[in-house]
Amino acid sequence: MNWTRDSRSGYSLERLLPVLLGGLVLVYFAVPFLAFFTRTGVDGVVSGLSTPEARRAIRNSLLTAPVSTAVATLLGVPLGYLLARSSFRGKRLVEAVVVLPLVVPPLVGGTMILTAVGRFTPVGSAAYSVGVPLTDSLVGVVLAQTFVAAPFVIVTARAGFGAVDERLEQASRSLGHGPLATFWHVSLPLAGRAILAGVVLTFARAIGEFGATRIVAYTPQTAPTRIGVEYRRAGIDAVVPLALALLVVTLVVLMTVLRLGQTPGVDPP
Amino acid sequence: MRLELQGVSHRYGDERAVEEVSLGVEAGELVGLLGPSGCGKTTLVQAIAGHVRPTAGRVLLRGEDVTDDPPETRSVGVVFQRSTLFPHMTVRENVAYGLTRQGTDRITACLDLVALDEQRAAYPAELSGGQRRRAELARALAPRPDILLLDEPLSALDRTLRDRLRDEIARIQRETGVTTLFVTHDQTDAMALADRLVILEAGRIAGVDRPRELYHSPPTRFVASFLGRSNSLTATVVGVDPPAVALGDTRVTTPELSGTEDLEPGATVTCHVRPEHIVLSNTGGATPADTGFPDSLRNAEEKLLTLAGEVTRVTDVGHHYDVTVQSETGTALLVETATAPPPPGASVTLGVARDSLTVFD
Repeated sequence: MNWTRDSRSGYSLERLLPVLLGGLVLVYFAVPFLAFFTRTGVDGVVSGLSTPEARRAIRNSLLTAPVSTAVATLLGVPLGYLLARSSFRGKRLVEAVVVLPLVVPPLVGGTMILTAVGRFTPVGSAAYSVGVPLTDSLVGVVLAQTFVAAPFVIVTARAGFGAVDERLEQASRSLGHGPLATFWHVSLPLAGRAILAGVVLTFARAIGEFGATRIVAYTPQTAPTRIGVEYRRAGIDAVVPLALALLVVTLVVLMTVLRLGQTPGVDPP
Repeated sequence: MRLELQGVSHRYGDERAVEEVSLGVEAGELVGLLGPSGCGKTTLVQAIAGHVRPTAGRVLLRGEDVTDDPPETRSVGVVFQRSTLFPHMTVRENVAYGLTRQGTDRITACLDLVALDEQRAAYPAELSGGQRRRAELARALAPRPDILLLDEPLSALDRTLRDRLRDEIARIQRETGVTTLFVTHDQTDAMALADRLVILEAGRIAGVDRPRELYHSPPTRFVASFLGRSNSLTATVVGVDPPAVALGDTRVTTPELSGTEDLEPGATVTCHVRPEHIVLSNTGGATPADTGFPDSLRNAEEKLLTLAGEVTRVTDVGHHYDVTVQSETGTALLVETATAPPPPGASVTLGVARDSLTVFD
């Protein structure tokens, strides 16, 4: 057998290898998906989603995940810029703290949040006394989701800003624009694709978050926590409708965000 | 004085980039800042534009100290070495970016100035290399800066485009009258464009003058060798009044021994001579009388330095020949001649008029 480039057919090991390896991963992803979602018919899905608990869980997920993503983006993008552009004492430590939530298991992350802002901690009790409970509330869900998902947008924003030629920012400054205007008009749009990828990842991670949320806010239930409850109560078939709904919602949101976020001149039309 | 640098020094950590640079640029002047790569040119540009805070010294614009002012308040237009057009904006949006009011007339005038009006709706990725440079010039000029800094704007272009754009920069500077500092490592660009040249060597100023003066009377050995092509010869001082040096067996009086007042006879000096100032004779004769040199140089032993040598290489570069001659002193000399030279291997005599010699200690 000859494994070198075959000019006649165009097929060779060099071309086939990535296709074969990539195909293997895709199959590994797709088969469980198909096996899982073909267990219940359309009727099963509709009836599964018609219960008030299921609807409430989806609504809670749709309320909390965008808020968590927005909070993570609002706080994380400036931090990503700072890490990309500045050198300062303790930068390594800051970088380590940023990836910490990715390293610890979500369950552990949840217990960490609990020890910091739980009902019987100074912060938690103060918030509770003014009517904003930080645990077992939608705020608690947002706290858990943000903790686990924010590193994605910080890390990608940092990479995005790092890829923007610093001279472009200097050119903007020399054309009379201050640092904030330069960030807004030049750095942010040019790092936009990377940041958008980070936002997408953060949203996907937030809406699917289960481990930390279960510890910080077991109730009100989000779609993933409801799935956990249903699985223990009635097994695999009971979780299919909610999982499907979660998947569809996530895909719709992600496609919309990606479509809206194309940058003229940078992205191909 | 539109721009003035007073003792500007800058270090990157322990590395010295610029040392005690002082220079001034008058309103409307086009000054060339010339030096080899890594000599501190870009650091100076960055210090003037406000993107680098010099370690020491002051930057004055319009007579005001702006050393601590941010770039956005300086009214300094910059065209960088690599394109810095904003890729997500059209040419028009790029040019409008520096304008406080979106004046259509000003945008059109600037685009007309660089002949890019038809490309106003194009994105930078759709422009050619030359068009991008012109768009950047228009963008830098739109806010009417007090001074325009051009940091190696031609270095990424091919020769033809480079020459064309160089002429265009000269025209635009003439038409707008904007005070310009043109930074380059290319002496042809610098000599062709600049009213005055500042030569930078390892972060220090090695010479400031009009291009022709610097070329013909280089103040330092570095300027002599960097600005144009130059041959370097080691000679011995044999007389002080009148000044004279000997090279091999030839003694020649020199117009002056610049910076060598304290030299005693017997001291070693370096003589510089341009390749086009060496006369080549193929007779192999030893004295001016029998070498076929021009009448003006004959019988003038004290005025003419002659050296015997052998041609080692001849290169035809079109409008002249470059001839490399291994001289009797062991130094290889480059000679520029318009007429066909003797072939490699031929014995020749080189003649250098004393006025063409620049002597450094």
